[in-house]
Amino acid sequence: MINESRSDKINSMNEQSLIQDAQSGNLDAFNTLVLHYQDSVFNVALRIMGDGDMAADASQDAFISAFKSIKSFRGGSFKGWLMRIVTNACYDELRRKKRRPTTPLEPETDDGEEMDSPRWLADSNMTPDQQAEADEVEHAIQHCLDNLPLDFKTVMVMADIQGLDYAEVASAVRVPLGTIKSRLARARLRMRECLQGFAELLPANYRLEDGITA
Amino acid sequence: MNRRDIELLSAYLDGELKPSELAKMESRLKSDPELESEMKSMRATRTLLSKLPSRQAPRNFTLTRKMVGQNPRLPRIYPVFRWATIAATLLFFFSIGINSFSTQMASQQVAFGIGGSGGGGDAESFAEQAPAMEAPAAEEPAAPAPAEELVAPTEPETYADSANGVEQPTEIAPTDDAARTGEEPSSKTAESENAVEASPFVSSMWQIAFVIIALMGALLMILMRYISARRWK
Repeated sequence: MINESRSDKINSMNEQSLIQDAQSGNLDAFNTLVLHYQDSVFNVALRIMGDGDMAADASQDAFISAFKSIKSFRGGSFKGWLMRIVTNACYDELRRKKRRPTTPLEPETDDGEEMDSPRWLADSNMTPDQQAEADEVEHAIQHCLDNLPLDFKTVMVMADIQGLDYAEVASAVRVPLGTIKSRLARARLRMRECLQGFAELLPANYRLEDGITA
Repeated sequence: MNRRDIELLSAYLDGELKPSELAKMESRLKSDPELESEMKSMRATRTLLSKLPSRQAPRNFTLTRKMVGQNPRLPRIYPVFRWATIAATLLFFFSIGINSFSTQMASQQVAFGIGGSGGGGDAESFAEQAPAMEAPAAEEPAAPAPAEELVAPTEPETYADSANGVEQPTEIAPTDDAARTGEEPSSKTAESENAVEASPFVSSMWQIAFVIIALMGALLMILMRYISARRWK
């Protein structure tokens, strides 16, 4: 974590001038930043929304509103600032989706009910074994993420998946650092409990049975 | 294991504990196997999440100028042309306005001048009659000499003065000519227009210049926009 934040600071030397150029309306400078951050932004959106198409839409919306409001960026973590914008774009997209429900994120049974047991993962892939296994773990994690309250999920995606430090997450979510600490701890507990249902899919060294005392 | 311990463990794994908390936590972990087991379990969860494959963005999210409503950059001189065109157009219409106003004023002045000196009749009939004297004068050199001399100046003011100065001939002249020209009212009107338009407030040269500036400005602006748009693409 410490190493990551150090490397971010080194990049920020170049990043600062790009941000300044973008703030004066230089779209090319902004697009350089887009290319640098688009994978992170997309992954945050993907993990929050659990759907690739919606995540892509939210990412695009996020970059458009980021450019429009880049003059309001007053320093600090640019990645954190972007994360806040993409999170808001995801919340907007999820609100829209709630109003106009589309295809469920999980496969349905013949009765039209959503499957939430690990069984649905078994026939979800036709790829080679190893890939299938990795995909299943990913599906399991995504499934557990989707079951988390939105606030917890957002904090977990930023801290555990994107590797942002607490201060960056706090600035992105606009809540006090103490709240981030508490949300993340509780999200991890819930995640662990959820993943117990997928024990057979998880790597051998991932021993969930250890220390389940909370 | 209380909630506070869980939070401390979580922060410990992220390296977010204060030095004093960190020392305490490390010593507790050594002496408390349950706490250590909890820590390992949470660390495994954290590691699993951090190893989640990062997906590549399905496409580039770079923005186009259209997306953000940006227009092509125009040359710095562009506003000069814009203001010049606006100013020339306004001046052109202003000159038309002021010319027609001055024409009206002039014709009223003429009518008033004759009406005052004549002491009778309505102003319009005099306004028509008075310039009408010019037409026969020009067409027929044989017309009475005094009338011809007096009518010759085309400027309304001069005419008005002359009308005031010499009443007799002006009253004679219309009576002679009115009988003849009365049959052709259209030619009389045209003549009267000529008489007053001879001295517009803004000369037609200026008006032409305004039109040329406005048109050239507009053309150059269109050209600049076209070139900028092409370069921009």
